[in-house]
Amino acid sequence: MTPPVARTGRMRLPGDPGSTLTLSRGSGRLVRVVSTVLIAGWFLLPLAPLMVWAFANQWSFPALLPTEWGFEGLGSAIGQGALPALGASLTLSLVVAAIATPIGAMAARALTFGAVPWPRTVSVALLAPIALPPFAAVMGLNVLILRASIPPAAGLVLVLVVMAIPYTTFTMRVAYAAHDIRYEEEARILGASRWSVLWRVQLPLVAPALARAAFLAFLVGWSDYVVTVVVGGGEIVTLPLVTASLAAGIGNDAAVAILSLSAIVPPLALLALAGLAGRRPDRASSSAAPSIGERR
Amino acid sequence: MSADVTLHAVSKTFGTARAPALTGVSLQVSAGSCTAILGPSGSGKSTILRVIAGLDEVSGGLVLIDGADVAGVAAEKRGVGMVFQRPLLFPHLSVLDNVAFSQRVGGASRTESRRHARHFLDLVQLGDFGARSVQALSGGQEQRVAIARALAAAPGVLLLDEPFSALDPALREDMHELLDDIRQAVSPTIILVTHDRDEAAAVADQIAVLQGGDLLQHDTVDRLYNRPDSLRVSRLMGGLNEVAGVVEAGVHVSPIGRVPLSAGTPDGPGVLVIRHEAIEVSPCTEAEAPRSGVIGHVSRVRRYGPRRMVSVTFGDGVVLQAALPPGEAVRDGCRVALTLPPAAVCVVPLSAAPR
Repeated sequence: MTPPVARTGRMRLPGDPGSTLTLSRGSGRLVRVVSTVLIAGWFLLPLAPLMVWAFANQWSFPALLPTEWGFEGLGSAIGQGALPALGASLTLSLVVAAIATPIGAMAARALTFGAVPWPRTVSVALLAPIALPPFAAVMGLNVLILRASIPPAAGLVLVLVVMAIPYTTFTMRVAYAAHDIRYEEEARILGASRWSVLWRVQLPLVAPALARAAFLAFLVGWSDYVVTVVVGGGEIVTLPLVTASLAAGIGNDAAVAILSLSAIVPPLALLALAGLAGRRPDRASSSAAPSIGERR
Repeated sequence: MSADVTLHAVSKTFGTARAPALTGVSLQVSAGSCTAILGPSGSGKSTILRVIAGLDEVSGGLVLIDGADVAGVAAEKRGVGMVFQRPLLFPHLSVLDNVAFSQRVGGASRTESRRHARHFLDLVQLGDFGARSVQALSGGQEQRVAIARALAAAPGVLLLDEPFSALDPALREDMHELLDDIRQAVSPTIILVTHDRDEAAAVADQIAVLQGGDLLQHDTVDRLYNRPDSLRVSRLMGGLNEVAGVVEAGVHVSPIGRVPLSAGTPDGPGVLVIRHEAIEVSPCTEAEAPRSGVIGHVSRVRRYGPRRMVSVTFGDGVVLQAALPPGEAVRDGCRVALTLPPAAVCVVPLSAAPR
């Protein structure tokens, strides 16, 4: 009737923290370390020439290293409007994340807990913005936005939010699939109002997933070029726009390197933040496991 | 701080499900008592708790708490506590803050709610565990904290939905003792759902037997064992003996013989039921049947915990099962006299349902 139960009263499963099955030993450990180093190298290697280029005032062929070091690239990037562009990019991405994350969370919750008719069709429709080539969609949408006389900034946010919603929705769906709705029922029985249930139970339980979803939505805004060019109509100049225009010219390699490097920093900082927010004081794996129980 | 709970002809159908989860269930649980709702899986046990708690609305009928109709009253305002099979401790709160949750959402300060919570952690003998994270608890401790958390909200009614079924037997007995302590300390009205009749008998004053959404019988533990209303109740309570026959002037007449009944049993066809624990088995004998007894032959003896279960066969192939006292045994094929004490014999209506 009951599965084997340890003295603690809770089942132990292979893969639980502390299980010897997941300990690496001997050759397995070596393979793991080597592959980790290789993968890290794969990601870090492209950054090396960028780092060098960023501080090269002059670097003529065939010299192996820059022939003159300095900060001219930085000055040139700032002169080309890098700082306002950085501000515009940050603002745009944060706004997109701030709008797309709650919408995605609500959509995911409705889809997961069966409040939506034909959930499969709705899921496919939500995925569509990812599947469509952005250029095609944006050209069409732009006509609509112009006809509706929506200001370019609002139109840009609108389109980017639509493009970010699939990511936030699907991230949150995974979280809600593992979320036991009875936590909220228990909280209500304990006297919590709907607002308290949301604030004190639901949000803390899905906080790590919310951070992940917001990060993805931020990236949609942060890395966008096509939508900003077409819908923004040149009114909003973000970091990718400045980088692209500099890269199209000649002799801007140092400035482009500086801009590329500075484009990496904010997402990395956010990733670190999201990682910290997602960490619980203790291992939470046991109680976060979904439960399948009879309802009546 | 205990409340009466009354269900009046409550029915519940989920969405488009064809079979209703509950059909016309009427149940009265008086303040401070403990009733166990016993039934097989899918019988609607948990649904009864959910409609009392306000997590599901009834499809028909009334739920009264302390005489007041609670239709339309939100779960958070019903003054009902509930503990599920999973402890559902909030993983982002410490043990103490879990227990303090109800006070905190009720508007108390952090300090005040924690002070209040400590008292209830003491009550479940986990006074030193307040600062721990809930991941550091064992299964039994988690369920204790869940009970403390429910009690800290000072509910008039405490609903327990198979709270101990995931625990091993030794822990379960500890929890039964804890439940006794709690009843003495705060005496809430308790409604406990279980599929384990031993658990129901161990902790409850009364048992309500549920099958397929029907409430079959709500009675004291003794009466459910010895005076079942129907064959279905007798079987759900683990009854093994059923002998079809006819009642004539206070005596049940059947292939096993004439069995005297307690006064007031109406004449007519009926099925005799008796608990296997209530039958006395004589040693092998050639004597005549005693006054309230019958004579049969032992056809099988098997182990039944510390006891032995004897199958005794009569004419027409009727078999009675009897549990021998621990340590005693009889031979196969032996002729024995069975004493069926009138107080333990009960006649229920014939039922169309085959066994």
